[in-house]
Amino acid sequence: MMFHTTVFILGFIPVCLSGFFTLGRFCGAAWALRWLVACNLFFYAWWYPGHLPLLVGSVALNHSIAWKLRHTEQTRIWLGIGVGLNLAILGWFKYADFLLHIVVPNASALHVTLPLAISFFTFQQIMFLVDIGRGAAGTAAEDRASPERPATMVRTEPGLPPLLRYAAFVTFFPHLIAGPIVRPSDIIPQLADPDLARARIDNVTDGVLIFLLGLGKKLVLADMFGKFADIGFNAAADGTALTFFEAWYATLSYALQIYFDFSGYSDMAIGLARVLNVRFPLNFDSPYQAANIAEFWRRWHITLGGFLRDYVYIPLGGNRTGPLRQTGTVMVTMLLCGLWHGAAWNFVLWGGLHGGFLVIHAQYRRLFRPLPAALGQILTLLAVIVAWVPFRAASLPSTIAMLRGMAGGNGIALPRMIVSALPSFARIADPVTVMPFLGDARTLSFPEISACLLLGWLIVLMLPNVHRMNDRVRHWTLTGSFALSAQALFFAPHVAPFLYFQF
Amino acid sequence: MRRVLLACATSLLIYIAAFACLLDRPLTLGVLRAHIEANIALGQSVRGPKLVILAGSNGSYSHRCETIQPIVNRPCINAGIAVGVGLDYLFARWEPLLHAGDIVYLPLEEAQYVRTRAAAYLGPDAAIMLRHDRATLETLPLQRWIAALFAGDLRAAIMSLMEITLADYGFRDPRPAAGGGYNAWGDHVGHTAALAALNQSTLAAIKPFHPTAAEIQAGYGTVLVSGFLRWAAAHGVLAVGGLPTGFIDSPIDDASLAAIRAIYRDHGASFVELPNQSRYPRSAFFDTQDHLNEAAQIAHSIAVAEALSHFTDWRQARSP
Repeated sequence: MMFHTTVFILGFIPVCLSGFFTLGRFCGAAWALRWLVACNLFFYAWWYPGHLPLLVGSVALNHSIAWKLRHTEQTRIWLGIGVGLNLAILGWFKYADFLLHIVVPNASALHVTLPLAISFFTFQQIMFLVDIGRGAAGTAAEDRASPERPATMVRTEPGLPPLLRYAAFVTFFPHLIAGPIVRPSDIIPQLADPDLARARIDNVTDGVLIFLLGLGKKLVLADMFGKFADIGFNAAADGTALTFFEAWYATLSYALQIYFDFSGYSDMAIGLARVLNVRFPLNFDSPYQAANIAEFWRRWHITLGGFLRDYVYIPLGGNRTGPLRQTGTVMVTMLLCGLWHGAAWNFVLWGGLHGGFLVIHAQYRRLFRPLPAALGQILTLLAVIVAWVPFRAASLPSTIAMLRGMAGGNGIALPRMIVSALPSFARIADPVTVMPFLGDARTLSFPEISACLLLGWLIVLMLPNVHRMNDRVRHWTLTGSFALSAQALFFAPHVAPFLYFQF
Repeated sequence: MRRVLLACATSLLIYIAAFACLLDRPLTLGVLRAHIEANIALGQSVRGPKLVILAGSNGSYSHRCETIQPIVNRPCINAGIAVGVGLDYLFARWEPLLHAGDIVYLPLEEAQYVRTRAAAYLGPDAAIMLRHDRATLETLPLQRWIAALFAGDLRAAIMSLMEITLADYGFRDPRPAAGGGYNAWGDHVGHTAALAALNQSTLAAIKPFHPTAAEIQAGYGTVLVSGFLRWAAAHGVLAVGGLPTGFIDSPIDDASLAAIRAIYRDHGASFVELPNQSRYPRSAFFDTQDHLNEAAQIAHSIAVAEALSHFTDWRQARSP
C-alpha cells in the first residue's frame, strides 16, 4: 500500500484515523495506540505478509536488548551485540549477494528477497539502542530548530519506553517504509502524550494540506519527470548510444524526479504524522538551492545526513581529528551512505563522488575565500546532477554510456523542425525526424520536455518549499495542483512506486 | 479545513473549465483532428461499396489506398491515424459510415491490442472529443465521459499553452516539408527513401515491442476489436484482420500471431497474412517499425491489395 494510491487514501486512512480518534475519545490513549500499532502492521503486511514476522521479531528483539542495556553494567557489550545483530540481519538480506560476489565473483546468486523498509527500521532501532546505551533515549538530543521542528516540540521522557509505545514508534506507518529517519527522542515522547489520540482540527488541517501538496509533488511532477528519465536511462542500459540532448534531458529529468519523489513522500509522511498529532522533522529544505556541497547535505535527506553525522562521522572522530583523518572519515561516511542506498557499485560510486566533493569543498574552504554564491550554486548543482548518473544507471557500463552521451561523445542531434526553424543550430546539431529516446519520440517531444524541465527547475530553484511557504501560498499551491493530483490518482494508467521504497 | 476544501473545489473547477473550454493543442491534436475529419468527409462522400483501412499510423504510412484502389476495384479510404487514438473513438466515428458490402481492413499495430483501458481512455481522442467533438463523446459510455473530463495532465497543459502561442504567432508546422503529408485518399506520401536515410541510426536502434499471446488475449484493445467485429458481422460489413508492418529481424512469435488471428476468426471475420508476414528489412522503413518508406509502402500495398482482391471479387460476385 503506497501513500499515493486510492486504496491507501480512500480505504486505509479513513479507517485508521476514525478508529484511532474514536478509541482515543472513548477508551483512552493506550487503546488508540494499540489500534495504531495494528494499523501499522496491517500497512506493512499489505505488500508481503511473509515479512511481517521479521519486523515484529526485530522490534521485540531490540526492545529486549534495550531493556538489558538499561539493567546491566556491561553496556558496551550489549550495545555491540544489539548493533551487530541489526547489522547482521540487514547485511544478510541486503548485502549477502553483493559481498558474495566480491569474494567469489562467479558464485551463483543467493536471491535473498529484500524485506520492505529493512534499511529504515534497522537504522531507527540502531539509533534507539545507541541512545539507550548513551543514556539518552527519550531525552532531547541536540535541538535543531526548523519550521517542522520548533524547539517546543522536543519533550523528555526518562527511561525505557513500554513495548507498545516502542512498537508504535518503530512501525509508525508514516515513516516506516521510507523515512524520515526520526530520532527516538523526538517521537517516543510525543507518543506518550495523553492527548495523542484527541483530534485537533489545526493539526488535521495542516496535515491534510501538507499531505496533498506532497501528493502533487509525487503524482504530478515526479512521475512526469520519471517517464522522461526512464526512457533515456533504459536506452543506455540497453547499450544505445544517446546523443547529447537525450542524455542530458534524461539526467536533468532524473534529478527532478528523485527530488520531487522523495521530498513529496517526506511531505506526505510529515502530513500524515501531523494528522495523528505527531511532528516529524524536516527532511528536505530546497537542496538544489544550496550554495555548496556541504550545505546541500544539510538540506538533502536531512534525517539520513543527521544519522550519519551523529552515529558514524562523529564517533569516527568527526571534526576533532587532523585534516587527513577527517578526509578519511568523510569518505568512509559517504561510502557507507552510498552503500546504504543499495548493494551495488553504482551506489558506492555515488557515495564516493559526494565524499570527494565534500573533501574538495573542505580543502578549498580552508585555503581560499568562498566562491560567489551564484557560482557556488551552479558548481554544486552540476556536481550533484552528474553524480545522479551512477545512482540511477543500471550498471557501471551504462553509467559510462550516459556520461559519454552527456559529454557529446555520441554527437548532438536535434529535431529537424527545430533546425529548420532555427538554422543556426545546423552548425552544432544533426537534424533528425524524431529523437527516439526523448519523451514519446514525437515531433514536438523536444520542445515539450524542454518546457517541462524549465518549469521543474524553476520550481526547485526559485520557489520556497512547502515548509517555507506561508499559509496563503500553500493554499494557492493546493489550488494549482489538487485537480492535477486527482487526475493522476484516479485516471493515470500507471502508478510509479516511490523511488526510496527500494532502499 | 474549510479553506483546504475550498482550494480543492476551486482547483477542480479551474481544471475542468480550462481543459474543456480554453486549452487546446492546435499543432498536434489539431493536425490529428484535421486528418480524422478529412477521412470522415471522404467516407461520407463515397457512394457504394468501399474499402476502409482502419489502424494507427501503420495504416497511413505503410498502406496506400491510391495504389490499392485500382487493384481491388472499389473506392479505398486510408483512415489510419495514430496508435494513441482510441479504437472505440475510431469505431464510433466510422460505424455510421459503414454499410453492408463495405470491407474494413484492420492491420492494427500489436500495441493496439494490449493497451489498457486507462491508457485508452487518456488518448489524444479524449481531449479532441472534450474540446471539439462532444457529439461523439455522448455516444460513448459514462466512464469515458468522466475520463475525458480528466484526461489532461500537466504535460498537456504545458503543451497546450505552447501550441496555442505558436499557432497565434502563425507558426507553420514544418513536418510536411521535412517528412511528407497526406494525399486525397488519406495516405501518407512523401516519406521517401532519401528522407528515410537520415533516420537510419534511429531505425537501427529501435527495439520493437512484442506483446505476449496472453497479453493480447487479455488486452482491452482486444475487447474493443472484438466488439467492432461483432458489430460488423451484424451489419453485413466484412472485417478483415491483418498484420502490421515490422522489422524482418524482429518477428512476432507464433503464439502471439495465433492469438491475433484468433481474435478475428473467433468472431467470423477474415484474416489476411502475406507470405512475408509484413516483415521487411530496416532499410525499407522511414522512421519507426510502423512506417515503411514510400517505395516500400507502395510495394506492400500492392501485395495487400492482391490479397484483399480475393474478398472484393467474392463480394462482387455475390452482389445482385
